[in-house]
Amino acid sequence: MTRDDLDRILSAEDRIVPSSGFAASVMDAVRREAATPPPIPFPWKHALPGLVVGIVALAGLLVLGFVLLTAETAAPAPAAFSLPQLISAARVAALKVDGTGWLAIALLLTLASVFFSFRATGSRT
Amino acid sequence: MSAAEDQADVEKVLAGDVSAFEGIVRRWQGPIVNLAYRFCRDRARAEDMSQDAFLRAFRSLASWRREAAFSTWLFALAANLFRTDLRRFPIHPLTLADIPELRDPRAIDGGLEDEDRDRVVRDAVYALPAKYREAILLFYFHEMDVPAAARSLALPEGTFKARLFRGREVLRTKLAKVRVSPGLQEEIP
Repeated sequence: MTRDDLDRILSAEDRIVPSSGFAASVMDAVRREAATPPPIPFPWKHALPGLVVGIVALAGLLVLGFVLLTAETAAPAPAAFSLPQLISAARVAALKVDGTGWLAIALLLTLASVFFSFRATGSRT
Repeated sequence: MSAAEDQADVEKVLAGDVSAFEGIVRRWQGPIVNLAYRFCRDRARAEDMSQDAFLRAFRSLASWRREAAFSTWLFALAANLFRTDLRRFPIHPLTLADIPELRDPRAIDGGLEDEDRDRVVRDAVYALPAKYREAILLFYFHEMDVPAAARSLALPEGTFKARLFRGREVLRTKLAKVRVSPGLQEEIP
């Protein structure tokens, strides 16, 4: 089979005629599309302060965690290691680290996110 | 088909007159449905795909830059949509090895009737890798106009020609044993 044969066969492809209702059906779909309100854009203006606060808080937490970690590692190691001593040391460290500070930060973050989400949605209704 | 009519209708639609889009649909429904039919070989599916193409065109009418003809933009948009659709839902995941006539040369030794021969050739086109198949489909749809076909596929002409050449070579190799019946040979001027 030559290239000419291929050209002849593939050029002689059947042609079809669209069904009689095709244009009307397309126009129905187009009118439905035109009647649909555009999608609500994401409220960047309202969300931005919340996002900034979240990022700053996260960065603060990371810095705080890093500072605490370096302070712990810089502390002198106990002279002798035993399991009960290690557990009690861990408890003391946990009491130092967690507690009200962490709880306050978590609560503040939660309140801030709730406040900003209410503000963002409330202003649209 | 008048480019001025297309432009006027587009301006009206963009100004808020949705019904002006009907002129575009009526002018281009034939070519777009036929293009879709070349891709899927199923009339009902071709109309569904064409409707999606017109809807997509309606949505993105503002993105038509006037330096290209409206038809060029519309064909490129439609071809892109049809290619995506066919890749997601292939008509029949055929390979060249699946075509019985090509697998068993005895079946074609005696020459095929024209209708069977055309079917074998078309099956072979649909069994080509997508990039060659699409180049061949668009080339013959645009009546062997390379620049128009390349624009419809949004490809540089050089790339398009390379794909077309490679696709035709694969076809010619695979179809080497398919004889053209004497009747058809006589028709050749």
